[in-house]
Amino acid sequence: QIKTVTGTVTDQQNNAIEGVSVVVVESGKTAITDAKGRFSIQGESGQTLKFGYVGAVPYSLKIGNAENLTIQLDLNNSLNDVVVTGYQKERKKDLTGAVSVVNVQEIKDIPLGNPIKALQGRVPGVFISADGAPNGGASVRIRGIGTLGNNDPLYVIDGIPTKRGLQELNQNDIESIQVLKDASSATIYGSRAANGVIIVTTKRARAGYSRVDFDASASLQFYTSKLKTLNAEERGRAYWQAAVNDRSDPNLNQIYKYEWNNNFDNPVLNRVVIPEFIDAAKTMRSANTNWFDEISQQSLLQSYNVSIANGNEKGNSLFSLSYYDNKGIIRETRDKKLTARVNSDYSLLNGKLRIGENLSGTYMKDVLIPTGDVTGLSQIVFSVVPIYTVNGGWGGPAAGMADRQNPVRLIEDNKQNFNNFWRVFGNVYAELQIIPNLLLKTSYAIDYNGNYARTLRKSYTSGFLSDPSNAVNTNSNYDGNRIWQNTLTYSIKSEKHQADFLIAQEQINTIYQGFGASRQGLALENSDYAYLDAGSTNKDNGGNGTSSALLSYFAKANYTYNDRYLFSATIRRDGSSRFGKENQFGYFPAFSAGWRLSEEQFIKESLPVVSDLKLRYGWGKNGNQEIANNATYTLYSAVYGTNAIGNYDGGTAYDITGSNTGQLPSGFALIQQGNNTLKWEETSQHNIGLDFALLRNELSGSVDYFIKKTSDILISPAYLAVIGEGGARFANGASMQNKGLEFLLSWSKKIGNNWNITLTGNAASYRNKVTELPPEILTSYPGNGTDKNILGRPITSIFGYVADGIFKSAAEVNAHATQPGKGIGRIRYKDLNGDGVIDALDRDYIGNSAPKWIYGLNTSISYKDFDLSFFLQGVQGSMVNNGYKYLTDFSSLAPGANFGTRTLDAFTPQNSSSDIPSLTLVDRNNEGRTSTYFLESGSYLKLRNIQLGYNLQNALKNLKVQRARVFVQASNVFTIKSKSYTATDPENPGNAYPIPLITTVGLNVSF
Amino acid sequence: CSKVLDEKPQGVVSSEDLNTPENAEKMVIAAYSALGNDYWATPYSSMWAYGSIRSGDAYKGGDGPGDVGDFNAYETFNLNRVDLGNADGTWFRLYVAIGRVNDALGRVNNLTTAELPNKTIRQGELRFLRGHFYFLLKILFKRVPFIDETIAKTDYDKISNVDLSDQQLWDKITADFRFAADNLPDVQADKGRATRFAAKSYLAKVLLYQAYVQDDRNNVTTVDAAKLTEVLTLTDEVINSGKYSLSTDYANNFLSRFENGTESVFAIQYSKDDGTPNGRTDNGHSLNYPMNVEYGCCGFHTPSQNLVNAFKTSTSGLPLFDSYNIVNTAAGDDFKTEGFDPRLDHSVAIPGHPYKYRPNFIFQISWTRAPQIYGRFMSLKEVVLPDDPAFKKFPPFMSSSKNWDIIRYADVLLFKAEALIELGRFNEALPLINAIRTRASNSTSLLKQADGSDISNYRINTYQPGVNCTWSQTYAREALRYERRMEFAMEGYRFFDLVRWGIAAEYLNAYFSVEKNRASHLRDAVFKKNRDEYLPIPLNQINFSKGLYKQNTGW
Repeated sequence: QIKTVTGTVTDQQNNAIEGVSVVVVESGKTAITDAKGRFSIQGESGQTLKFGYVGAVPYSLKIGNAENLTIQLDLNNSLNDVVVTGYQKERKKDLTGAVSVVNVQEIKDIPLGNPIKALQGRVPGVFISADGAPNGGASVRIRGIGTLGNNDPLYVIDGIPTKRGLQELNQNDIESIQVLKDASSATIYGSRAANGVIIVTTKRARAGYSRVDFDASASLQFYTSKLKTLNAEERGRAYWQAAVNDRSDPNLNQIYKYEWNNNFDNPVLNRVVIPEFIDAAKTMRSANTNWFDEISQQSLLQSYNVSIANGNEKGNSLFSLSYYDNKGIIRETRDKKLTARVNSDYSLLNGKLRIGENLSGTYMKDVLIPTGDVTGLSQIVFSVVPIYTVNGGWGGPAAGMADRQNPVRLIEDNKQNFNNFWRVFGNVYAELQIIPNLLLKTSYAIDYNGNYARTLRKSYTSGFLSDPSNAVNTNSNYDGNRIWQNTLTYSIKSEKHQADFLIAQEQINTIYQGFGASRQGLALENSDYAYLDAGSTNKDNGGNGTSSALLSYFAKANYTYNDRYLFSATIRRDGSSRFGKENQFGYFPAFSAGWRLSEEQFIKESLPVVSDLKLRYGWGKNGNQEIANNATYTLYSAVYGTNAIGNYDGGTAYDITGSNTGQLPSGFALIQQGNNTLKWEETSQHNIGLDFALLRNELSGSVDYFIKKTSDILISPAYLAVIGEGGARFANGASMQNKGLEFLLSWSKKIGNNWNITLTGNAASYRNKVTELPPEILTSYPGNGTDKNILGRPITSIFGYVADGIFKSAAEVNAHATQPGKGIGRIRYKDLNGDGVIDALDRDYIGNSAPKWIYGLNTSISYKDFDLSFFLQGVQGSMVNNGYKYLTDFSSLAPGANFGTRTLDAFTPQNSSSDIPSLTLVDRNNEGRTSTYFLESGSYLKLRNIQLGYNLQNALKNLKVQRARVFVQASNVFTIKSKSYTATDPENPGNAYPIPLITTVGLNVSF
Repeated sequence: CSKVLDEKPQGVVSSEDLNTPENAEKMVIAAYSALGNDYWATPYSSMWAYGSIRSGDAYKGGDGPGDVGDFNAYETFNLNRVDLGNADGTWFRLYVAIGRVNDALGRVNNLTTAELPNKTIRQGELRFLRGHFYFLLKILFKRVPFIDETIAKTDYDKISNVDLSDQQLWDKITADFRFAADNLPDVQADKGRATRFAAKSYLAKVLLYQAYVQDDRNNVTTVDAAKLTEVLTLTDEVINSGKYSLSTDYANNFLSRFENGTESVFAIQYSKDDGTPNGRTDNGHSLNYPMNVEYGCCGFHTPSQNLVNAFKTSTSGLPLFDSYNIVNTAAGDDFKTEGFDPRLDHSVAIPGHPYKYRPNFIFQISWTRAPQIYGRFMSLKEVVLPDDPAFKKFPPFMSSSKNWDIIRYADVLLFKAEALIELGRFNEALPLINAIRTRASNSTSLLKQADGSDISNYRINTYQPGVNCTWSQTYAREALRYERRMEFAMEGYRFFDLVRWGIAAEYLNAYFSVEKNRASHLRDAVFKKNRDEYLPIPLNQINFSKGLYKQNTGW
């Protein structure tokens, strides 16, 4: 007797779940829950209702007498997550490879402009480093440095492989992210998968799902890592100290005058006299400029997103639009990003044929401020230099100062220059069910991006620096990939057996085209005028292009017996146009197996505490083809002339007639030696892992151990100089190994009715070593090239001298080995080879810049409508070669620069406890050499993110709101670093864009 | 399916495409262009970084010893190492240049004279260029692998730097110049191309170096009279050709408007506004401009106090061979009370003096970079005025399209004088040296203050035996060596003269013993005899050769 069964589906917190599929197993009738979690379906008593939802434990019940059912689904068990692992989907519990599933929910509101940055520290074995630049690039290393060239992972977005990162993706569009770390899971992506694969799936609408999401947030950003530099008077004192230490007249300098006792044996400084003007022309009035304050700002970051999804039995569609506007903490820097996405699919032939498309477009506009220069200059330019002259011109260096630009001028003179970036990314596909369970899919994708920039270089005078010329530059290029994939999948299933098969073919063509032009002699210096046509002199232009192709065939089979024994095998054959005719194709096999111990009776009986336990092992081989497209060919190029500032000019034009100007005759230069024996670089990897869940999934986690060996590494080795120009030649010729351990542990507990606590921690460690290098290129890596070389050591090793404190007395100086320039207050270098002379033979391996451990800890607490989460992230055991010390600790390594405040505490006979070398005008002791003096601990622990949210859904019950939440959050809240690190942020030790503190308020609403 | 993977290289040519006569001619141009394909860290178009700052004539300059620290290692000798990147870079850049010559020569050799009527001329030019580049390698590193166009690239790694003896390597270089001298025309329509007399002049120069025979420890053991005689023959041919003369004013050699003048025997041709971003300019000198607003970078190559002192003359207008350095010249920048060789103000920028012949453009101490370390003088010959048509700024650096002479006629005259003196015919050298001094004496018209008066007190005279000197072989040798220092001050070859003469160790250690009290960066500097005459073979190259190359003596 057919009746209508109705009910409501909720999660454990009694929140309605929308989009749950409800199936009457016997009749095949289906229904989908609505926004309030309600469903209604026709069925008979005794029939079985099955409830399905992504990420939930499947739930079934027999239809009985009850008419209005209340179903609670268990969403906590991540083992039931469906994971995209390469042209297929698998349940997480069936996985046999090392695959990390990212909790996208945790990061969706973190406004860093690049979702990958928010993953820093959240995935064991994935090391992400990034600076604070508004446009959000990041470097991602999965399981360490595996090769000597490009170590970037492969990204697969909605099935389309790309080497670009995720900075052009709308964070809110992301449905899921998986990281494939080991070879057995990544091999299906074969070529280019050796550095790991990051799979991103974007949101799609589902049948019975109709929703409008709106997200908005606004953030304030702060510069928290300013170095302490000397003010105008202190810089004068430091110079005086350096001069009297050297027993040379301090008044022999071009800025400061000193009133002092003129006694070198017991010098006393009474007063530093700062002149009224620092230049002879009296245009630059002495100032006390804090350059960090002048180049920085508190800035506003805004982020908006709207997405509309609609689905029914015939088709689904989703449209989203986001706008991101990040004014950086360096003045005038800014990144504006607009992304749009549409995807839809249509169901035809009674659901046997699906046709659909994904399409996303990104437009980004960045202000081209030379931020690395600007932050560096903020330390270098003297505080006594004014920003402006008395006439309103630019202040700048005066006599006795280094030839460095006024950083404020660099900002102001470049703020009119933008780069315009666009990217179009998407595919069209058709999926045909030939017979039940046999699916044929074809997909054609494009991934094109390009840049256009028109920049105006202004003339200027700034101190003794000037350039009377101006110029306009226009550059444009694009990069394109076309990807055609065809797959055939088949699955069979019986009570005890389940098997899936895949065979596929993929073809990728890439192209790059670029050109640029410039002219000088512009009558006006503003952007509205500065087009190429407006320039009258020194016309210059250039252009180039390149292309490559990949062709691949692959197959995969998965087999599961009785939900207990899992097997998977993959074979892939990849061809690349970059290799020689004989070696274009490589084979990349993989195998893995898993054993779900928790399904075994003996575990169930003897260890009831175990809710899930799986042992898995995988082995596989991946390829790498990251070399120049033309690497196999010997090539000449007409070079004419190059823009050789700070490098040699490799031009081929010559003024043979002595006419001094005009078009010159020109020849060709060899640019590359071909190597037609080039073949695929190969990485093979063993992975053994254990996944476990205890106490009804309250405690879960995994452990993975891997050994990854890369051989035939593609290098362009340095070569014997007599080979001359164009000696560069790619070759297969090095090997390295990484071994590592990764842990993930998660504890989740519901306390009472209102409290939920989840703690998730992860840690990873790996050890790298170079196992083989062609002997002639050993000197290209840290070492002395002979007895001390990188073989057997981490590629990130640092080679140099051991600084053994500073000489405190003449007796110590005399007792030490022959060290040119030694003296009281100078650094003592260890005589490592004991030959009584400090020279190049006393260098050894003194540190490793790779961390020993990387870790993260996330805590989420929810109470009623409140949720709080905070995330700690850190690295342990890395060494930083702190280049800032050149400026913060020395007066002689960059004598024309401003110094750091540490110089005021340098060694003097009166301040003999200091471990900072005595100030001097002349570095006779060669103290800038790489030594342990500059090596400092790079370990840190950061409160990366803290967020407090409030769910308004209950408060807004009467409105038609499906979801409403407000939150406040902060990123990069504090850093705990080693005392031995003397600069500010060990995560960002160079002059890269500083990492800001970001505070955010935001809102998520769904209708 | 392989068609999918068949991707053609874009925008490039293959080697076979370049064998046509037209393209072979272009490859000759590419070889010439290597003359000036230079930059500041590894200069070889000018040898100032090796020949000036290692000779006692100049300090490195710049911001401090750490600013291009490898040059500080050259200057102080005791800090020099086998693994300096810049020395390795210079070695590499010179082989890049040789590679271009060999590439072009291989193609020219394979053409018939019907295809390429100028075949032997082009061969001569290319071998002239190759001789030049090997000469530079030879004086820097002593023992270098000699590779010519007949050797296959795959065999390059079988050629050691010690396959040829020191003298055999010289012979290879002279063979290239002999071929050039035999096959080049007297005149070339293109001013930049080598001529017969340029080749003879260069051959004379190389033979003069070769004549001072060194043993394995760089000691000069004998002087080869046959070689010196050949130097005489060659220089006479050049002198008697009538193609060259000393320019009327010494200044003309260092002014862009007089380039390719009568004194220029062979010069690197630079250009600007030529369709390249920064011009094909003289980038080997791009660090050597002052720090004032008209220029702004980088204050390198600063004349030593010793060099400035050396321009002081005796009351009879002759050099003070032994006493010039006892008292610092003009500590208060007073160049009026004593007498000076006018070449001082052509070579050295001095605070208070007009800069580069412009009376109202006064050089100030504030134009120097780090006067507390590197003193208050700067080098003048390589620079041009900011409004000179040849000047080119490419911030932060700058330079010019002014040519740089590799050999000028004054050099040819002094080669001959040197050969005569060493052959005992010192009386015949006297008029040659005096010709140089007379021209210097006549070169004061541009050295004027705004009021028309002389900048310094110029007092220079010729050697007049019996009147102001006694002209013996010893005296003549001293006069010749001193004359070369004055005439070619800051032009980059002084150190190589000292090594040629076998006096580098004695001369430089004497210099350091005094100069270290004036310039504290030299406090620990010391020249190690039997080592520092040459740079070490770069460690990188020894490693890349898998030990085939052998290190120089003492290193």
